[in-house]
Amino acid sequence: MHEMSIAWELLSQLESIAAENAVERIESVSVAAGVLRGVVPEAMQMAFAEASKGTCAEDARLLLEIVPAEARCRLCEARFTPKPDSYLCERCGQADVELVAGDDIVLTSITCQQSEGGNDDEDQRRDQCP
Amino acid sequence: MKINVVTSVLKANDAVAQSNRERLEAAGILVLNITSAPGSGKTALLEKTLPALAPELRSAVVVGDLQTTRDAERVESVAAAVTQINTEGGCHLSATQVSDALDGLPLEEIDLLFIENVGNMVCPSGFDLGEHHRVAMLSVPEGADKVAKYPTLFQPADVILLNKMDLAAPLEYDESIPEEDLSRINTRAPLFKISTKTGEGMDLWLDWLRERFEARKSEA
Repeated sequence: MHEMSIAWELLSQLESIAAENAVERIESVSVAAGVLRGVVPEAMQMAFAEASKGTCAEDARLLLEIVPAEARCRLCEARFTPKPDSYLCERCGQADVELVAGDDIVLTSITCQQSEGGNDDEDQRRDQCP
Repeated sequence: MKINVVTSVLKANDAVAQSNRERLEAAGILVLNITSAPGSGKTALLEKTLPALAPELRSAVVVGDLQTTRDAERVESVAAAVTQINTEGGCHLSATQVSDALDGLPLEEIDLLFIENVGNMVCPSGFDLGEHHRVAMLSVPEGADKVAKYPTLFQPADVILLNKMDLAAPLEYDESIPEEDLSRINTRAPLFKISTKTGEGMDLWLDWLRERFEARKSEA
């Protein structure tokens, strides 16, 4: 369940963004998760729902995109897409690679409502975001 | 409205990991992050490795488990210092937990720091702790297919240890299977077949550690 620690970190970044941009309510959160990070979509959704409780991202939709892997051969510099069971370089046949994609988890965008300093309800909600 | 961000969710961990690495490098310490399934023999490895390196190389240990201080107690008598981290459910160590642990270690008195990660073949892979080298371990009773089944643990490894070789014959373990799988997953890391029980193959591992320590010292 490393999804939970990913969710906590994601929420901490969302709260900073919300504070910087006077965001009242986050409606959706787009995340690109590298296939090699082993993020299980169902577990990530559950973790996000739990971590977002009581924050401005509560009830936001988490839009999860899985990013394929890309490797760079440390020996001949060729770039290629590794297979799940093989990191063999397509050019030199060695398995000595550096991952250049598919091993990160990136928050790409959010959609939100910004606050306009309205009625009491809105003030109350805004209090939930730092 | 839409706000484009593009920021790594792992960056907070990676930043702390980098600061751990710099802090440890300033103290001349080589750091190893040991990852494996529970029960592969990470603690037994440390029980045999640390006394064999001493007194030339003094080692400290940071050990992560969900609960108990049992692993810390096992290595206490052979380590210069030990810190146990209880993750209380967390399935991997984070760079921040290691950073906190470093505060309690006598960094000026040690040469090597071994971080024994939580026994788990999936979650620790994605979290840099500030190590110089990743050690991936597997053991004979776990079966011969571990490398093929968990490539993300073995692909980033700098050294791979196949432990409990004393059980290879009775369990009719086919050593060629992990070797063959590694030929597709990671041809960079040396594979050392060891037994922490009989001492088989430990010299190769100890020599590798000494070489890495010297190499790190000459880079500094």
